Amino acid sequence: MRRRKQSGPVDVAPDGMFVLNLADDERQSFNHFLDELESLLNEETDDGRLRRLFPTAYHNDALHDAEYQRLMRSELLQSRRTAIDISRRVLDSHDALSEGDLMQFMQTINSLRLVLGTMLDVSEDDEAQEIINEEDPNAPQMHLYAYLGWLLECVVDALQNSLD
Amino acid sequence: MSPNVKPAEQPVIADEPTAEDVVDLDTPWIVLVWNDPINLMSYVTFVLQKLFGYSNEKATKLMLDVHQKGRAAVANGSRERAELDVYRLHDHGLWATMQQDS
Repeated sequence: MRRRKQSGPVDVAPDGMFVLNLADDERQSFNHFLDELESLLNEETDDGRLRRLFPTAYHNDALHDAEYQRLMRSELLQSRRTAIDISRRVLDSHDALSEGDLMQFMQTINSLRLVLGTMLDVSEDDEAQEIINEEDPNAPQMHLYAYLGWLLECVVDALQNSLD
Repeated sequence: MSPNVKPAEQPVIADEPTAEDVVDLDTPWIVLVWNDPINLMSYVTFVLQKLFGYSNEKATKLMLDVHQKGRAAVANGSRERAELDVYRLHDHGLWATMQQDS
């Protein structure tokens, strides 16, 4: 599904930079989600909600996986924290963004989706179900999940266009 | 979604090799990406292009393999190379594992 480029949240500038068209209240809300993600990361990284952010590396090989996790987990954690910091900078500024900064923002949107999708226990069947039942106690989270999906799609679209 | 092909979150270690076992150095390692219900198809395609320098055509084919067959081998090489690739894929939120090609 493609959305109209002109009114999208991300534009590709002629110089290869990117422009983020998000309203101030959207930026504020997003900063709040970043705070939540960061505080979750500051807790135990074996929290079930973070399962998708720290996956198993060795398939059916617990011994090697334990070794891998011992070496790489903290690096992965640090990388996620850095991406959050850069995303804050992206949201605070109205200047044009480099591809690298937009990539970090993209990864943070995806991290948020992974945590939220895990909490909501989304399945592939949910994709077809575009209409959210407002009676559902999870409706606010489902709206946020849909919003993040839309924003991510727009960011990927912009990055993909500049790659072509 | 194919739940039966998801990697086990708590791998069973019944008959797994121990540290003393001789590692076959000649057999290359493959890096697999598994289907998951959260990651967007466009995102997975873009990440594969960006991380591995694949064309849009090749990345799209791999993404569709992941989506339709449950998983796809996206890279292969030495154990060190595979670990680095798995790390980079994890960093981008993809569900990647590595195993020795058999």
